[in-house]
This record gives sequence, structure tokens and C-alpha cells, in this order.
Amino acid sequence: MITNFDKLCADLEKQELEAPTGVASPSTYAQLLAIYLYQNDLCNAKFLWKRIPQNITSSNPELAAIWAIGQKLWKKDLAGTYQAIAGYNWTEPEVANIIRALEEKIRERAFNLIGRSYSSISIDTVVSMTGLSKEAVTHACRDRKWTIKEDGVTVNPVPPTQPAPLHTSSEDQLFKLTDFVSFLEN
Amino acid sequence: MASPLEQFVNNVRTMSASGNFRELCEIIGNSDEVLQRNSAHLNTVLETLDIQQHSLGVLAVLVAKFSLPQGSNDIDRSTMFQQIHDFINNCNGEQVRFSPDLYADLCHLLTDHLVEIKQPIRGIEILKKAIRKIQLFDSQLTSIHADLCQLCLLSKCMKPALEFLDTDVTGIGAELGGNNDSKHFLLYYYYGGMIYTAMKNYDRALYFFEVVVTVPAMVVSHIMLEAYKKYILVSFILHGKILPMPKYVPQVVCRFLKPLSVAYHELATSQHAAIKHRETFVRDKNMGLVNQVLSSMYKKNIQRLTKTFLTLSLSDVASRVQLSGPAQAETYILNMIEEGEIYAMINQKDGMVVFLDSPEKYASPETLCVLEQQMAACTKLHQYIQEMDEQIQVNPQYVKKSVGSHDEDMPATSQNSKTTYTM
Repeated sequence: MITNFDKLCADLEKQELEAPTGVASPSTYAQLLAIYLYQNDLCNAKFLWKRIPQNITSSNPELAAIWAIGQKLWKKDLAGTYQAIAGYNWTEPEVANIIRALEEKIRERAFNLIGRSYSSISIDTVVSMTGLSKEAVTHACRDRKWTIKEDGVTVNPVPPTQPAPLHTSSEDQLFKLTDFVSFLEN
Repeated sequence: MASPLEQFVNNVRTMSASGNFRELCEIIGNSDEVLQRNSAHLNTVLETLDIQQHSLGVLAVLVAKFSLPQGSNDIDRSTMFQQIHDFINNCNGEQVRFSPDLYADLCHLLTDHLVEIKQPIRGIEILKKAIRKIQLFDSQLTSIHADLCQLCLLSKCMKPALEFLDTDVTGIGAELGGNNDSKHFLLYYYYGGMIYTAMKNYDRALYFFEVVVTVPAMVVSHIMLEAYKKYILVSFILHGKILPMPKYVPQVVCRFLKPLSVAYHELATSQHAAIKHRETFVRDKNMGLVNQVLSSMYKKNIQRLTKTFLTLSLSDVASRVQLSGPAQAETYILNMIEEGEIYAMINQKDGMVVFLDSPEKYASPETLCVLEQQMAACTKLHQYIQEMDEQIQVNPQYVKKSVGSHDEDMPATSQNSKTTYTM
């Protein structure tokens, strides 16, 4: 389902810049705004929202709905973000696609953040930070090997494991070392 | 058609055909008045010239046409965008490089026009193309850069400017250097700093504002003053204090800028400065940044706590940093952990925070990778400096001056060396 959003993003930016009157179509704006949110590029999202002409933003509820998500993200209000996503019926297939990916990504980030910053946390906080039901959270915790205490409320998260180190060939390293030494010698 | 105008067209045609561009440039420089006086016929002239073959001639006519004062009825500005657009797309890059200042003027005119009709976003793509066409290499700064940044700021569409801003400048276009006005140079760095601030890339923004303030100067420009104010604010957001200016700041800057920005300096010493000088900040349109400074102060205070304490309860954090309560403290800390500004573990059950050391052991392949990149950057910088040094060494003016000074100013130099010793 996930297409190459970076490429789409570049295309859409080009469309906007090359629009003859300086104003692009609402669907271009909507997709671009959603992609900026997906890339967690809130600054650009904010400025895009600000530069869309007023008559377009007021006549397209979808745009306003996307920016409602952006506002919650800007304030780092995770619970509000999920509500904003669920609060609108995404009908445009292109946009709906991006929004779905966005929701997944935010949830993943939330889980990572919890793992990194809490040694113990109440399950209700996890529920609100990930926007999942209690059962789903319990399930997700088990997947991540996070232990849930007997009282059923406190969760002890485990920090996420670092991705495997990238491997560089020794030839490559030798090449760089030669470069460096030859620079120092000369 | 008037005869001097006819002569102009003939000159353009013959010299373009014979490739005598340098001479043509001179003629164009002198025929300014002729073109201005015959503004009614300029469209006819344009029709007789070919954009690709007679780029210089067309350029001169276009600049003359659009730099006429607003009131004159002879010209129709509705086609201006289209005409300049066609010219930049189709002109011969080699030809226009003979007259970079006219080319830049044309871009300035287009920028002013778009700003006036409030459609700045339309010019971004075309100016990007214009810059690429006139540049000899990617890291050359032209005066069109400032225009592009201005349009990006006005249209609130910053991303296109970043590819230019991210390239460090190693050369300056002919029309920008020399004895010319430094306005566009200052503006580029000022606007660039503003774009980086908007993108929350404060590190780079600070550097850009610093460049504006450290430009060698005999008098202070208003651009420098505004840049200095923003320099202070960004410095607060980034470091929690005003970074001292580098030693090479011109003296006039120190003497004039500080008294003119007292309100900003007071932010460092007094909590209430933001309220007290509210009017000044609003008038300077810096209130948004001032608010960011205030909220960054909380973060700086929390960071300071990590240096003193290993464990702290959330309510203690709140009271020490003057936040409203443990919940707010928790949000702040959580956000800071996400941004990588502190390393800590929150224990929600006991309401405690454990501050950790940075988990970085500087032994991972990533560190090596970063180190390699930094080394490569340094090597490159060294090469640049060496190249520039070589260029200066063989510069006749420099050679003449350095040889001459040895003969005449012997005592002066020895005095100089003395002062360096005492320092």
C-alpha cells in the first residue's frame, strides 16, 4: 500500500510552483499537506497551510481536517491526534492512503518514545498515547516483551533495540584511510 | 523608427553574429538613454531580435522597458512575467554572462513586480532557473539569490530556497562583488537566516545572522541591525545566552548596534523584559521569536537540572523550573527526550525522573561515519583555502602591494609585529 511518498512529494511541490496563477488545485494541497505531516515536517506543513488561499481552505473541509491533525501534532497532543484522524471520514483515496500511513507512523513513534522514556507507565497513558483499545495495547505490549504488572495497570516498557549497525566493507574503509593519510602527508 | 534606435539594433545584430560580446556590452551600456527615450518602439525592437541569438540585446531592451517609471502608459505589465519567463528559459547563458549586472537587474525587476501584484510564488521556479543559468559553479553567490529568498519568504514557501542556502558559498558573482552595493549580499544572509529560523534550523540561522553582522563595514546598515536583533534571539533559543561576537566584528557594529537593541539584551537579565519591552518587540515583528525564547528557557532550566541531580520527583522539577505542576513537567521532559535534548527515564508509578548520561559511547560505526564525514569536510575546506591562497599569491595587485609595502613601511610593519607580541 505504501507508495513512494518522497517522490510524490517532489512532484506535488513542482505542481504547486508551476501553477499558472500561483494557486494549485485543492487536491494537490491536500496531498502535499498530508505528506508533510507523514514526513513529520511540521514547519513546512504549517507554512503550506498558511499559504493556501483562504477561499480554498474554507470550501474544502478535508484540508481543514488534515490541518486539524497537524495542529495536534504541533502541540504534541497524541491523544488529540488520533481523535482528529478518526473524526473525519477520509473519502479521497489518495489522501486516505497517506493518512492511514501517517497514523501507523505516529503510533510506531509513540511506542518507541514510551520505550525510551519510561521505566514504568500506567496502561491508560499508553492507551491515550497510541490511540488503541486496551486489548490492543495489551497485545502490543506482549509483542514488544513489555511486562504488565499483576495489578494490570502498570507497564514496564523495555527500550527499543537499536537497528543493526550498517556494515561497511573493509576495502571502503581502507580507501578512506589512504585518502586521509595522503592528505596529512602532503 | 528613430535612427539611433535603428543603429542600436544593427549593432546588436552584427556584433552578436561576429561574437564580439565584450564590445557589445559597452555599446549597450551607453545606449541606455536611447532605449528609454524610445519606449514606445521597444516592442517592435523586440520582434526584430531573436532571444537565443541576440540575448544581450533582448536583455537590454527588456530591462529598459520594465524599468520605466510606473506611470508611463507605453508599456503593458501584464505580459511582463511571460516575457521575462521566456527570456530566462531561452536566452544564451554564455552571452548573458558578459553582462551579469543587467541580468540581475532584470530579475530584481521581476521580483519587485511579483511582490507588487502579490503573487510571489510564481517567481520561485523561474528565479531558480535564472540562478542556475548564470552561475559558473554551484557555490557561487549571485545577487539573484536574495530575490529568491525574498519571494520564498513572502509566499511562505521556503523549501525551494533550501537547496541554495544549504550550499556554502565559495565564490561571488561579478555583479555582486567589487565596488557594488552590498545590499543584496546582506539581504541574502538576512533572508536566509529568517528562512532557517522559520524551519527551526537555529544552528544555521545563527550562522547566517552572524555573517550579516560580521561583514566588514564602515557604516552600519539597517539590515545589520535587524539581523543583530534576530541573532540575539536565536542565540537565546539555541544556547540560552547571548553568544559573544567573534573578534573580527567591525568596530562600528559594536558601537552602534548594542545601544540600539537594549531591549533584546535585557532579555538575558530580567524575567519581565518581555512584558516591559513588548511594544518594541511587536514593532520589530519579533514577538513570535521572543515567545519562543521564553519557552526555551524552561527547557534550558530542565537541562541544567540534569547536571545537578540524578533522580528527582516530577513535582520537584515543576517547582524548580516554575512550571504549573507535575503533569506539565512530565510533558516537557517527554518532549525533550523525543527531541534528544536530554536523556532520562520517567517512572510514572512513583512520579520520579531518573536523569541518565548520554548513551552514546562514541564507539559505534555511526560515530566513525560521522567522523569520516567531518574529516572529508575539513580536507575539502583545506583545499579551498589553498586554492584561494594560490589565487591571491599570483594576483598582480597583491604582489605589487606586498612588495611595495616592504620597501616603504618597514618601521610600520615592525610596529605591527610588536603589538601582536604584546597581545
